[in-house]
Amino acid sequence: MADKSKLGYEFPPHRLEVEKGKIAEFAMAVSQKDVPEDVNPIYTDEAAAKKAGYPGIIIPPTFPTNVMFRTGGGLMGVVNALGIDLARLLHTEEEYEYCGSVCAGDALTCKMKVVDMYDKVREDDSGKSMEFTVVETEMRNQRGELVIKARSILVER
Amino acid sequence: MPLQFADLNIGDSLVPYTSSPITRTDLVRYAGASGDFNPLHHDNTFVKTIGMERVIVHGMLIMGIAGQAITSWIDNKNLRKFNVRFANITEPVDFDDWENTKQRATITITGKIRNKFEENGEKRVRCDIVAKDGLGNTKLRGFFIAAAQ
Repeated sequence: MADKSKLGYEFPPHRLEVEKGKIAEFAMAVSQKDVPEDVNPIYTDEAAAKKAGYPGIIIPPTFPTNVMFRTGGGLMGVVNALGIDLARLLHTEEEYEYCGSVCAGDALTCKMKVVDMYDKVREDDSGKSMEFTVVETEMRNQRGELVIKARSILVER
Repeated sequence: MPLQFADLNIGDSLVPYTSSPITRTDLVRYAGASGDFNPLHHDNTFVKTIGMERVIVHGMLIMGIAGQAITSWIDNKNLRKFNVRFANITEPVDFDDWENTKQRATITITGKIRNKFEENGEKRVRCDIVAKDGLGNTKLRGFFIAAAQ
């Protein structure tokens, strides 16, 4: 069961280098391709990205998911820090707000915070409740500009 | 081709985007790319300990596929917000029973223009999205907001 005393808990800031190879790997994963040549070149080729109007190779929309799992010692680190039971864990909602572009070579400083924890009675007749944990992550680039706000809701069923 | 604000009408549907049948190899690739090493998505001996038959697809891979759909409709740089709520789990295709299991592992993303508005000095559209498998089961529902030209 998530430890309710963790409401308001801030994970230590995490610095993530946005690596070119990692972007290509992520783009291949979400487009189910085996080789970088088969994905949209804005994710793999700097010249193509610039031609398309980007400052450099950019990240796919859900790339920020990387951060949650690398901030706070990976999924197990997060789960352990918050006292969440992995066997009951479900990810129920995810949101990204894009405030600026993120390119290969950027360094993001990510601050993740537990912003809400609450219980909700299940809709079935079991009388059991589900426990929700909401975490928000702010990502700023090396110039201090806020580029992404992420919000994840985890539930233990 | 960026969406042209003037050409968009509330209620318009966007061209559906369909994934390949999701394999266990896709799950391993996504685990490495995202850092999500929850054993639920690759370790059959783990899933048995929690009473499940087989590994399941990362919800975030389904959202990633939805992200691919969105960037087939709009330019990445015009995306302002992307939200999903996960509805049901997805099981990967079984190689030894491909024909009978491919539909459950094939995801189609549909989008419909919900609203047109101005915000922060730019013209924006809100579009609802739904991800369903080949059997019609809903995997996630959500929306995105994009700047339109």
